[in-house]
Amino acid sequence: MVALITGIIGIITAITIVILIRKDHLHVRYGLWWMVVAAMFALLGLFPALFDSFAKHLGVSYPPILAFTFGAVVLVIKILIMDIERSRKEVEQLRLTQRLALLESDLRDIQSQTTRNPSETAESQSDSPKG
Amino acid sequence: MNKSSITQCLRDVAPSCVVIIPAHNEEEDIALVIAEIKQYGDFKIVVIDDASTDNTIDVARIAGATVLPLALQLGAWGATQAGLRYALRKDFTYAISMDADGQHLAESLPELLDPIIKNEADVTIGACTRRGSWLRKVAWTLMKRISGLRLEDLTSGYRVYDRQAIRRLASWRATLLEYQDVGVLAMLQASGVRIVDVEVNMLPRRHGISRVFYSWTSVAYYMAYTLLLSFTKRGMRHE
Repeated sequence: MVALITGIIGIITAITIVILIRKDHLHVRYGLWWMVVAAMFALLGLFPALFDSFAKHLGVSYPPILAFTFGAVVLVIKILIMDIERSRKEVEQLRLTQRLALLESDLRDIQSQTTRNPSETAESQSDSPKG
Repeated sequence: MNKSSITQCLRDVAPSCVVIIPAHNEEEDIALVIAEIKQYGDFKIVVIDDASTDNTIDVARIAGATVLPLALQLGAWGATQAGLRYALRKDFTYAISMDADGQHLAESLPELLDPIIKNEADVTIGACTRRGSWLRKVAWTLMKRISGLRLEDLTSGYRVYDRQAIRRLASWRATLLEYQDVGVLAMLQASGVRIVDVEVNMLPRRHGISRVFYSWTSVAYYMAYTLLLSFTKRGMRHE
């Protein structure tokens, strides 16, 4: 019964990922990871004996505990990777915000120079530094 | 229509076209690419610099291109989309995407634009199916079978887009794509856009290495990504 439920969870997960990617709500890059998760669920559900013999081979007398341990380790690693990625995105966002402010300031300077003296501004713009 | 008529037609339509060239560390080739394009008409040429660490920006500006310097490296499709958003914002009628490494020949511009000017297509793809290894050809066959795309060259970045296609690809829906092939073409096909392959010549890359197929890991990731995308986008229809 548990194996059947696990298999159904795998199939539902796979269908959900396909729908999310199709509607452009999930990046394909993350979809690949979730498809692997779905495949693992489906495998456990369809071939429970496979996992039991794998657990016995490792010396684990109660196979479900191996599944839970493995799942917990994978989740911890996934969360850590997500935090590393989020940190990188925060840095990018901060620096983009700073760059936007610097560019807006440059734009205001150019606009105020144009207002004060149009002929001088045309000369100074040809010498302006690269963006 | 003979070739000289097509070329004259190209010169007439050039002012309404923008050539968008995503570039990452292409200081060795970009000036020549820009010079070759200018021989065929008064095109607006925009180089989208994908956070290059060499002098691509300076070389492109000196060669006469407008440069959009990206603050972060977005990849070939992210840079191309920035160019398409520029095309939309500045009201260009057609956008032509080309590579910065000299593989795409400007001499093919008349043939690429001709079906669009004649209203026989909304998007044309410069197809060169002779190029590439057996592995690339196997990949194309697999992608076509799984995605249902009815085109010859799925990975060519040498394309002309009309305004309708520019609007679609500049939208948020096209933002999360990593590559410019299956996802982009599937989105266009789903929108009812008419896409036509035009056989062209291409040169091998003059300098550097492919930004997509630079290692076996990158190839494996590309194949897994593209096959999953092909499967999920099959048979889609958009409003």
